[in-house]
Formats: sequence, structure tokens, C-alpha cells
Amino acid sequence: MTPSPEIIAAYVDGELSPQAVAAFEAGMNADPGLVAEVARQRALRARLAVAFGPVLTEEIPLALRMAATVANDPQRPRAGLPQWAALAACLVVGVAIGQSLSPPSGSLVSEHGTLVARAGLARALTTQLAADGGAVKVGLTFRDAGGGFCRTFLSRADRLAGLACRRDNRWIVQTASAWAPPQVAPQYRTAASETPPAVLAAVDGVIAGAPLDAAAERAARDAGWGAR
Amino acid sequence: MNGLDHEIVELLPRLRRLARALSRNPADADDLAQATVERALVHRRQWRPGTRLDSWIFRIMKNAWIDEVRARSRRGAVLAPEAEGEHIGDAGAAAVEDRLAVGEVERAMARLPDDQRLAVALVLVDGLSYKEAASVLQVPEGTLTSRLVRGRAALLADLGEAAP
Repeated sequence: MTPSPEIIAAYVDGELSPQAVAAFEAGMNADPGLVAEVARQRALRARLAVAFGPVLTEEIPLALRMAATVANDPQRPRAGLPQWAALAACLVVGVAIGQSLSPPSGSLVSEHGTLVARAGLARALTTQLAADGGAVKVGLTFRDAGGGFCRTFLSRADRLAGLACRRDNRWIVQTASAWAPPQVAPQYRTAASETPPAVLAAVDGVIAGAPLDAAAERAARDAGWGAR
Repeated sequence: MNGLDHEIVELLPRLRRLARALSRNPADADDLAQATVERALVHRRQWRPGTRLDSWIFRIMKNAWIDEVRARSRRGAVLAPEAEGEHIGDAGAAAVEDRLAVGEVERAMARLPDDQRLAVALVLVDGLSYKEAASVLQVPEGTLTSRLVRGRAALLADLGEAAP
């Protein structure tokens, strides 16, 4: 029996319980139409993340910064506040948000309906190990049913999390999801534990066997990610 | 800056992204984000420390957006059709600008019914869980999921992604 659209959406959004995920995936094995529908819904999620994600790294307009600080705060005197005070507050805000203002990313490009990783994201997927830090953090590495390598990633600059698989010497992004870097204690977190449920659900749908351990991951990288 | 101000500043990028997903163009989106922040600060005493600030401010944005949509449709009803005819040149130019400024996905979002657009923006653009999004919208989770499913189907149809 084909699951309802609500169940398919909940699966793609990572909202199903582990038991329900197992039942859903058992159903996928017997239903190519369901596999295609899941891929279509994942692609929609990724397109929305890519369309609106860059807004996060745009410069905040001055009027909005001002609105968030002195000018409209009823607890502070509005009249009689010297002009320089407002400007000074504005500069402080500028410094506070400065760290989130990075140059436009361009980490993903859409080619004939598929999303391809490029620039820093592609470099990180090709060269980094899960143990490495940086603007992009790689999480799980594993093989898909065709024997090709797939890796999950968290991109700080793009504020995106996703899953990319190696095809024809490129990293094809299977799904991407909005992701905000944690504000506190990043040293206690791992990329895998931070990965959004929607991306982990995509991993469940693609993975064949267990994720690679550190030694196998290094060997795969050193061998240039060639498929079996 | 006190704690709440600082936290609101931290939320500005997400507020702008949500506003962009709801609005027809970037200028309207920044007006919405600004109106939201102003309302949040005026009503700052209504926020209970210990609860999630993002859910509270997103709810304020939802209300500000619905107010704006209603006001616009009232203005539209009063002005149409003559006044609209007078400005048809401007409207045409604005429409062309909109098309240049925003992409296919943004345009498809703008064509969604309001309640579906809110559900899609909160879950698929911002990444809230169903529970969190339902709480922002103050609707039962079942209502949220049905809006989400209809919104997804409409977006896929609009973006030309044929059903398998």
C-alpha cells in the first residue's frame, strides 16, 4: 500500500519515529514509484534551501539594524538621544553581526536539474576527513547501493547541511537543508549529531551497509573516491 | 544592549530569510522584518524568558504579515479597477523588476495560498520541526501537515516537477 502524502512528507522531513522509518523503507524496496516520489520531495526541499539560504549571509540593512537596537526601544529615551549615540550603537551591532557576513557562497550550482557542489564545498568533500575542522565539516562517509561514495556535510558559510554523492568526478548534492551553526560549545558536538533529521533520513534511504570508519575513510580519500 | 536586544540581533538573518520566503519581493521582505522587530520590542514584556525567542518572534512576523496581506487586499478592493488602470505602467515595470530580481522558486512561493506559504516557509525554509511550526502558527499539528502537503504539491506542480 502506498503511504499517504502526509507520511511521505514526514519521512522526507525526518519526522517519523525509527519504527515508522523502518516500515516506510521496507515499503520503498517494493515500490519504485515511492522511491521516485521521495527523491522529488527531497529535491524540492533542497531547492528551497538553496533559493532562500543566501539571505542569511546578506548584509543586514541599516534600517533593520537600527530597529533592533536603540531607536524603537521604549525603555530607552527616544527624544534627546544624541545622533552619535545611535550611530555608535549601530557600529556595535555591525561588529556583532559582522561574523555572519561572509561573501556570497556559490557553493552549489544547478545543472540540468541536479545540484552540483563546487568551490570550497567541493574541495572539502574531496579532501577533508570527518576529523578535520573548517568552514565545511564532513560527517558520515558511506557507500550507496551502486558502490559509489556519499558524504554528509555541514557548511558554516552557506548555513546548509546536506548529503552529496560522487558521480563522474563531481559531488552531486542529493538533499540540502537549512542549518544554523551552534552558538555554544562546538567542541562537544560532532558533525553527525548536528546533522538535521531531514539529511539523516536521506542517508537512511541511500546507505548500503555501515558508514566507513576513519581508516576506510582515509583510504577512500587517498584513492580519489573511485567507485568499486 | 541588553540580553533580549542582543538575541534579536542574532535572529535578524533568520527573520530576513523567513520574511523573504513570505513576501513577494526583497523590499517587502525587509519592511516585514522591520515591522516584526519593532512590534517585538514594543511588546517585549510579553516574551517569557526561558521560552523560545525564535518561536515568539516568528509568531509576531506571521501576525504582521497577515495584517499586511489583509490591508493590501482591502486597498486593492477600494482602488480597483480605475486606479489600477492609471498605474498600469508602473505595475508593469514593477512586475518586470520582480521577475529580474527573484528566481523561479521565489515566484512559485509567492503564488501559494497564504496558509500554505507559512507552513512551507517555517518547515522547509527555516527548518522548524512540525511541532515548533504548529506552535508558531497556533494550529494543531494535523492542520500544519495538511497545509504543508498541499503547499508541496502546489510548488512541485508550479516548478514543473512532474509526478512520477
